[in-house]
Amino acid sequence: MKHSNKNKRTSEIRSNATSGHPARQFSKLGKMADVNVAPSLLDDSIRKSKILVVGAGGIGCELLKNLVLSGFNDILVIDLDTIDVSNLNRQFLFQKEHVGKSKAVIARESALGFNPNVTIVAKHDSVMNSEYNVTFFKQFTVVMNALDNRAARSHVNRMCLAANVPLIESGTAGYLGQVTAIRKGLSECYDCNPKAGQKSFPGCTIRNTPSEPIHCIVWAKHLFNQLFGEADPDEDVSPDTADPEAAGDAGSVALQNQASEAGNVTRVSTRAWAQQSEYDPSKLFGKFFCDDIKYLLSMDKLWTKRTPPTPLSWDNIPEEISDQQGGLIKDQKVWSPAECVQAMVSSIKILYQRSKELNGEESFLVWDKDDEASMDFVTACSNLRSHVFSIPKKSRFDVKAMAGNIIPAIATTNAVIAGLIVFEAFKILEGKWEECRHVYLNSKPNALNKVIAPSSLDSANPKCYVCSPHPEVTVLLNVSQMTVQSFEDKVLRGALHMISPDVMVDDGKGTVLISSEEGETTENMSKSLSDFNISDGTRLRCEDFHQEYDLNITIIDREHLEENREFTVIADPSQLQPKAAVESSGPQPSTSSSKPAPSTRATESVEIDEDLDVIFQKGCANDDHQQEPSIRKRSISGQADIGSASKKLRLSENDIIEL
Amino acid sequence: MASPSPKSPGQISDKSKKYDRQLRLWGDHGQTALESANVCLINATATGTEILKSLVLPGIGSFTIVDGALVTGEDAGNNFFLDHSKIGKPRAHVATQLLMELNSDVKGDYIEETCDQLLSNNPDFFCSFSVVIATGLTEKSLHSLSSNLWQNNVPLVVSVSYGFTGSIRLQVSELCIIESHPDNLLEDLRLDKPFPGLKEFMDTIKLPEMNHKQFSHTPYLVLLYKALEIWNDRHGPNPPSNYKEKEILRNIIKSELGYGIVKEEDSNSGDEENVAEAIKAVNTALTKTQVPSNVQKILNDDQCIRLKEKNSFWIIARAVKEFVEKEGNGVLPLRGSLPDMTSDSQRYIALQNVYREQASKDAEHVWRHVQTILKERGWAGESVIENDVKLFCRHSSELRMIRGSCLAEELDGKQLPPDVDINQQLEEPDSPWLHYLLLRAVNKFHTENGSFPGYYDDNVETDIAKLKGCFSRLLNDLGCQGGSLSKDDNLHEMCRYGAAELHAVAAFIGGCAAQEVIKLITKQYVPLDNTFIFNSVTSTTATLRL
Repeated sequence: MKHSNKNKRTSEIRSNATSGHPARQFSKLGKMADVNVAPSLLDDSIRKSKILVVGAGGIGCELLKNLVLSGFNDILVIDLDTIDVSNLNRQFLFQKEHVGKSKAVIARESALGFNPNVTIVAKHDSVMNSEYNVTFFKQFTVVMNALDNRAARSHVNRMCLAANVPLIESGTAGYLGQVTAIRKGLSECYDCNPKAGQKSFPGCTIRNTPSEPIHCIVWAKHLFNQLFGEADPDEDVSPDTADPEAAGDAGSVALQNQASEAGNVTRVSTRAWAQQSEYDPSKLFGKFFCDDIKYLLSMDKLWTKRTPPTPLSWDNIPEEISDQQGGLIKDQKVWSPAECVQAMVSSIKILYQRSKELNGEESFLVWDKDDEASMDFVTACSNLRSHVFSIPKKSRFDVKAMAGNIIPAIATTNAVIAGLIVFEAFKILEGKWEECRHVYLNSKPNALNKVIAPSSLDSANPKCYVCSPHPEVTVLLNVSQMTVQSFEDKVLRGALHMISPDVMVDDGKGTVLISSEEGETTENMSKSLSDFNISDGTRLRCEDFHQEYDLNITIIDREHLEENREFTVIADPSQLQPKAAVESSGPQPSTSSSKPAPSTRATESVEIDEDLDVIFQKGCANDDHQQEPSIRKRSISGQADIGSASKKLRLSENDIIEL
Repeated sequence: MASPSPKSPGQISDKSKKYDRQLRLWGDHGQTALESANVCLINATATGTEILKSLVLPGIGSFTIVDGALVTGEDAGNNFFLDHSKIGKPRAHVATQLLMELNSDVKGDYIEETCDQLLSNNPDFFCSFSVVIATGLTEKSLHSLSSNLWQNNVPLVVSVSYGFTGSIRLQVSELCIIESHPDNLLEDLRLDKPFPGLKEFMDTIKLPEMNHKQFSHTPYLVLLYKALEIWNDRHGPNPPSNYKEKEILRNIIKSELGYGIVKEEDSNSGDEENVAEAIKAVNTALTKTQVPSNVQKILNDDQCIRLKEKNSFWIIARAVKEFVEKEGNGVLPLRGSLPDMTSDSQRYIALQNVYREQASKDAEHVWRHVQTILKERGWAGESVIENDVKLFCRHSSELRMIRGSCLAEELDGKQLPPDVDINQQLEEPDSPWLHYLLLRAVNKFHTENGSFPGYYDDNVETDIAKLKGCFSRLLNDLGCQGGSLSKDDNLHEMCRYGAAELHAVAAFIGGCAAQEVIKLITKQYVPLDNTFIFNSVTSTTATLRL
């Protein structure tokens, strides 16, 4: 980069009418101020503005450059990420020697290199930290999101609404991109259209009855964590004898008795067991690809309509040459089972060695798609499982995309989007809010022969659970099974993107369920919601003081939910038809309305998150057909409940925050 | 099992790590094409360097900057690769140095001469480039460059950022695309025209003799095929084509195929996964197998029939044409891939092999035609590579060809495309044709006055009047009667721009243009045809064909 520029660009240049500094361009443009815009005014507001850039990745790098070269001179950039090799094909403020360093810090250094006269403050930090409160946000003229995840987007959206600061939201995925402007009361907010959630799979599909490559890949990542990573009880990899579909199966009743109450066959933790044998690959292989599979076969109810799995034997790995694409190289080709075993053996050796070298503090490995051994392990194990279950195998390249939620990213799309962000900023600074647009970048000209498709900003969804005057959501869950801890972690933080929630039960007594004060409600955490007399129709008053966000939640008690979900969030309660959350007490602004949800744009909007979860949805899109039937079948067990409930509920898909 | 130094199948090079996110868009072969490409940028303007930036980052082979200018204050203000300390130094040299810092895999070179000098001193200079990118050229220089490159068959991308507007013009005489990456590619299953291997395979499968388990693990393609046989017996050789007929076929799948199969203790008959898949696939899997019109156009093209040049694409296209007329019996080589489906692996793999074998047989036929064609014309055998033939066959249903037009002819042209009603276009407030004509008008102004309108602060008022004159004469030249002159606001706006190149516009145009260059180089995805107009005030774009 231009670190070489030690010659200060002095302020004299700015005033020099022929210097070509943006100031000059705008004053030139401003000369005919009566004609159209008032660019000299714009120039002035550019120089006086203070900009927050959230994210210094693909879009962030381009954006910083564009801002500095457009005359913006007071910028704060925040990013908690560090630089990876795979960033270098587009994040041009970074170079090889910067790998591992803070994105925000290096982006600032590089940008100052080409214009030392601007003020850029870099924060290597999460924008969700509590020091970035509403007062912090209020200091900015415009906030620009260049983020790669939904939680942070949703959070910044709330902070900007609370601080009443205009926000420009953006994202890219491969050749696709979008930019939109958000302002309290004047447009939709980020959460006005609940986004389709990241695909998740029922535990029993992962553990017992995979039918698609992704199921095996998720399983292999869980296996990694069980063996080397942070153990998570939700990520068990052994057969699940509590599978509702297998229940009532005479054969498995006996087996179930042997199993631990959690429904797991293993008695010691998987990791402890592996350590006993010093991660002997043949033992691990024997358990996961032979014994566990034989066990699954014994649950014969599962296989009446499915293709049963075939256990593999360590001594007889099929060599199967399936290499039709002879010319293909390295990670593009699909490994044979024997190659998988080879990769499994060598990766386990490396990972075991690494885990032995860990000291007490960090006693586990973290799976990383860019780490070779981690990636080899997941490729090998997922493909071996696919082989066992007669599921098509995937190349390492494809497994990486699916396991790492990788979406393609290139410099050109980011350049285009970052340019569009600046144009929206110009309009905001000129006070021309009505000219702001929601702009989509398509991969090819659309039906109207346009690559860029601008549309007017939609007005806010009056029932938005974030920006409406009285935000409301309805949550379907099982009150006797959901713990307060899960409710906080999965519903409030995970789905509703709160960061420091306080929750009070609206029971006339002011029972405090969750407090953001540390330690105040610790003893509640392991209890279930029903322990607090929360039942069907109970209302909860939630508050996030950091986000300055209040939300009323109506609980609907459901013993089972479709697709074995733990809970479902419905943003617009009027979508519950016909019994529209009638049991709920208190004001219910939506019940009177029979109108459909005001906006259904969620269906057409491309889900866009650089480096994030899009590929998941794209990858699954084709397979949805395959998946649906099995999932439908999975719910047969709870048919009596779900069948009738779902008929009554008739949920519109757009209003479900899927989890 | 455990070999001492297992050559892990996943040894990944640094390069593929660095380029991982883009390999997912254009693949290894696209990357190879990019890495062997050699582009030339004329003038290191803000737009020009932004384009090169987006080519250097993904790893273009090499670039050369041709620029006779020195760095000015204006450059330092709007160009990321030129800063104030470099004012007065050769722009080509400085920009090359800084661009090369972006990616050590890329070679950079520069020539401190203007485009005009090069064209007159060394007219063949540009012949060696994969693509030439031009920015900041006058209409006259552009005219000579365009003619030169058109004759030499080198693609040209002209990019302009002018105030709040911009444009990109692609000049490519002919571009043949094998991998066009269409959005909705139908499976190539041939159920309506089964090849002998498929027929043979299907005939060995006897659904009624299966038990329920075997039946429910049969690939849905087999069910479709068998249902279609029943349909053909009753309704003749044409597969169902409308909703009503497809419903009949669905009913056959639902109730007749598994008929008589003992359902064991199972009461939930009819919800077998494969049956559900077959019913769902009725809509997509039964499309008529035929040569798509865009491919037919290529096979019927003069180039394909007369085959005057030793060009790999056309040689293979000709071979495919012969295949279609002979062995293929009217259809293209088989793609050879199958969608995922519920099945036991044994039968899935068997079915997969049936398709693969046919596909490689078809490709083999095409390969033989290629060799005959080469021999007949006395062309060297290595003119076509067998792997290219395979790739071509696999993608033969998505071939695209673009024939462009010469920019010099457009500039000389006496009329706009006949299907454009320019008077009507000019009535619309944000018509792309208006922006196109305004950009032409400022160039005309420059040709006549030696500077752009509004460039010098003192002349603005007179420039507006002059630009009005240029605009109406341009309309007259193009044969537009009484061209609406109520465009004062727009003409004032053009003068106000004073040819300023705003960085944000340059960044946007740069990103778009670089993407087009990558399409030209990788010969993947369909490039724009042929003029792109952008107005940043309204965030609108349009593609015009000139």
